[in-house]
Amino acid sequence: MEGLLEAFYASRDTYVSVYLGLLRYVVPVLAVFLLARCAKPLLTFRREPEIWAWLNLPGDNQIPITHWENVIGRSKSCDVTINFPTVSRNHAVLTRYDDGSWTITDAGSKDGVQVNGKPVQICAIREEDVISIGGVDMQLQPITAKQEQRQAQLRTKAASGWDSVGNLLVLTLLQGLMVLGFLLSEQGDGLMSILEGFGGIALCQWVLLIFYLIIRRTSFEVETLAFFLCTVGMAAIASVKPGETVKQLIAMALGVVTFLGVGWSLRDLERAKIVRYCAVVAGVGFLVITLLFGKEYYGAKNWLVIGGMSLQPSELSKLCFVYAGASTMDRIMNKRNIILFIAYSVVICGFLALMNDFGTALIFFCAFLVIAYLRSGNMGTIALAITALGFAGVLALKIAPHALKRFAVWRHVWEDPFGAGYQQTQAMISIAAGGLLGLGPDRGRLQKVFAADSDIVFATVSEEWGLILAVITVLCIVVFGLFSIRTAKVSRSSFYAIGACTAASILVIQTILNSLGTVDVLPFTGVTFPFLSNGGTSMIGAWGLLGFVKAADTRQNASFAVRFTGQGRESDE
Amino acid sequence: MNRVVKRTWLMALFICLLLGGLGWFLFDYTVSAPKWIGSAGSSYVHAGTVGFGSITDRSGDLLLEIGDAKSYSQDPATRASTMHWLGDRQGNISAPVISNYAADMSGYNVVNGVYDFSGLGGQMELTVSSRVQNVAMEALAGRKGTVAVYNYKTGEILCAVTGPTYDPDNLPDLTGESYEGVFLNRFTQSAYVPGSIFKVVTTAAALDCVPDILDKTFRCDGIYPYGEERVTCEKAHGTLDLKGALAHSCNCAFAQISELVGKKNMTAYVKKFGLTQSVHFDGITTAKGNYDVSNTAQVSFAWSCIGQYTDLINPCRFMTFMGSIAGGGVGAEPYIVSRVSSGGKQVYAAETKKTDRIVSAQVAKTLTQYLENNVKSIYGAGNFPGLTVCAKSGTSQLGGGKTSNAMFAGFVADEAYPLAFIVVVENGGYGANTCVPVISRVLAECKQVLDGE
Repeated sequence: MEGLLEAFYASRDTYVSVYLGLLRYVVPVLAVFLLARCAKPLLTFRREPEIWAWLNLPGDNQIPITHWENVIGRSKSCDVTINFPTVSRNHAVLTRYDDGSWTITDAGSKDGVQVNGKPVQICAIREEDVISIGGVDMQLQPITAKQEQRQAQLRTKAASGWDSVGNLLVLTLLQGLMVLGFLLSEQGDGLMSILEGFGGIALCQWVLLIFYLIIRRTSFEVETLAFFLCTVGMAAIASVKPGETVKQLIAMALGVVTFLGVGWSLRDLERAKIVRYCAVVAGVGFLVITLLFGKEYYGAKNWLVIGGMSLQPSELSKLCFVYAGASTMDRIMNKRNIILFIAYSVVICGFLALMNDFGTALIFFCAFLVIAYLRSGNMGTIALAITALGFAGVLALKIAPHALKRFAVWRHVWEDPFGAGYQQTQAMISIAAGGLLGLGPDRGRLQKVFAADSDIVFATVSEEWGLILAVITVLCIVVFGLFSIRTAKVSRSSFYAIGACTAASILVIQTILNSLGTVDVLPFTGVTFPFLSNGGTSMIGAWGLLGFVKAADTRQNASFAVRFTGQGRESDE
Repeated sequence: MNRVVKRTWLMALFICLLLGGLGWFLFDYTVSAPKWIGSAGSSYVHAGTVGFGSITDRSGDLLLEIGDAKSYSQDPATRASTMHWLGDRQGNISAPVISNYAADMSGYNVVNGVYDFSGLGGQMELTVSSRVQNVAMEALAGRKGTVAVYNYKTGEILCAVTGPTYDPDNLPDLTGESYEGVFLNRFTQSAYVPGSIFKVVTTAAALDCVPDILDKTFRCDGIYPYGEERVTCEKAHGTLDLKGALAHSCNCAFAQISELVGKKNMTAYVKKFGLTQSVHFDGITTAKGNYDVSNTAQVSFAWSCIGQYTDLINPCRFMTFMGSIAGGGVGAEPYIVSRVSSGGKQVYAAETKKTDRIVSAQVAKTLTQYLENNVKSIYGAGNFPGLTVCAKSGTSQLGGGKTSNAMFAGFVADEAYPLAFIVVVENGGYGANTCVPVISRVLAECKQVLDGE
């Protein structure tokens, strides 16, 4: 027995190198498998047209109502087009609520909306009520509870619980293999904290899935991808700053709580509207506090130090901004609301300019573009905004020589590899060194370079785990984006569609700025990679944004932010 | 709702930007990744990674070991004499040769990066001999300049030192005048006024294009006038034929020869000999030379044929030119890396690349005799025991009251020692007086090294 043990220790070098050699292939294979398994249902689910009510017009004319929020008007782009001269282009908005009730709202029409002959601004509709729009009389006939139940049954089911469990098992296996890789590498210090970091993620993901299964929600694809990204991020932190794994883990747990919180707030649109007001105030509040009490690091005053903890409140402001921008159809039709939103955006941008935080300002601006366009569809507004950004950008660059320096070195990093181009050239050298499969856990050299676990984390991952894995992390974010576009079509409310698209846009833009900035395709802005970069507030913010994406998932039994519909409420009973 | 749904395409734009940018980077990666590995800031090459490898000279003496740290040769003299090829510790002196093969040496490939399966690391063998390098450095004795010798049959560079230099492990204060331009590899990166060594070029041109040149004689009174201007010699040489003109380096005679050759021919020959072009080898691109006689007065053209005026040559290029004459009109392109292996497997082995033919065998033969005559009659064959040396000296005037640069270029005409060389001693005064003692020591050492192989 002792001899065997001795032989085992003697051959240690061999089996370590064999294990690490195999790990290089196993990790990308598992990651590709996981991505494919999670992305497929998200990108290919059937989007059946659903009918929620019928609008009965004179002359046995029945128009199906296919959304929960419908614009009625003369314009062809309306959800319900009534081509009659007295009907305004956008006349009214017909809205369905969770409990199956309907209301009609006047969208600032010329002739107004009458219900049973009485002019109304907003009015709940019963089945027998006669709605008059521009002189056209109509009656709303909601589908029966039975029809609704049948519709729910026909609706694409989210992945089965077993699929989700299977995916999570694969992810857990991946985590286990990575940890073992670190243990065998024996180059790192703080093996205990690495174990805690990875173990914590695994625990978190299983607790969340079990919670989902208890409340009979089975779809876990979006969450699995996010946990996968967190795992890869943890691997980067484990080799760069092994002491910070637990800190990052706590941030992730808080992020999951935020994710659930966002989902809960969106579960009921009336509640969402209240949360929205709080978020609007909080969004500005975070920035004001930072401006007053913040610390300046690396040229940008965007850090808040409380009791030894460094926070970046602007990361949370992004989340608030999505709340501020998302809106239901009846409010979108009101011009005053978009003007208020633009004013709000200007205030936010002003604060960011004062904070000298160029990267965040850029993200906010892109989010603003998405929201403004989704809401108004007006390219003129957006052209104006872009011009404004141009001027503001020039001004900001004048004020911030630190940002200007980054622009000056853009596409010229190889000319100054020891100075202004240091981080990017080191990142690219390391990516090349890692090849497609990586050098192995803690075997990279980039970890000694500043911000290896945040601003240039893409390269750290690429060096130690291979370019394939690094590309997969980017593709995960792409999947979030594509899913948001796809699911918008079956979205119950524009609030969800706008929320999901804006949130996913922010995630995509951050990924663009981070990964492409690292490799000098774009200027280096020092923005974090969602879920991957070391940074507590950024992690919480990313999970919060994911909450919006998840809330837009209307597949049956997919998101807890969507209530079960139909009389029996639960289709699978 | 329909409208909002339709407008979500805007987000697709961001996704396209992300995927497009990623695609661009991946393309860049497949094309440039090996270059990144070898770049100046690469810790994989310059600070080293575990077991990155070692660089030796032609005899297997260790010059540089790149492991967790960078360690140079044990011998301070070798450290100093080879530093301009291996790079310093501060990143002031780059090592293009190492960078060029770094990716190969680290076992780099696109799939595996520098992942080292074997743990053996890489080896690079240079063609230089540290023994010769050290002798050359000693002979330069702290003066600025360069001494280089290469095998004109194979292309191997046996010796290429540049002064001033210093021991990278014992960094001196580099601010003084004596260290001016210390970061420069003068052999590859400098261009000098050639002075009289350029007369070899003019002679080659004359031999090739002036039919009865061998029958002509030239009269030197110490002055050859061009109106107000004139070409001068230090003394009147009397009547000389071409051979004598070259041996005595007679400016007045060469002014007359330049008239026989003519501007157009001369320009064409300089181009044909490649004298102003860069030499490319092992990731190195040498400095370009200069020869421009368009729109010049006749006197200036005459001076250009004597290696003055605006003429500039790079030492490596001129050495290669000498090699071509030695090789009967065709030489070999120089190189400094003989082989590279990674993980015990050879990944690169140098091959001899012949130069284009620059002159006919007949012209080369005549020129060789002339150059041999120079040594026998002027520089003293006794300086080169056991070697048949053919050479030309030069004293290039710099103007501005500076002491002239001493130049000396030539080759050994022996079958066993096919070596071409160049010596430049900046502000060294008379070419022959300064350079002959230097090259006589270096060639003797080369002979010993070659005999030992």
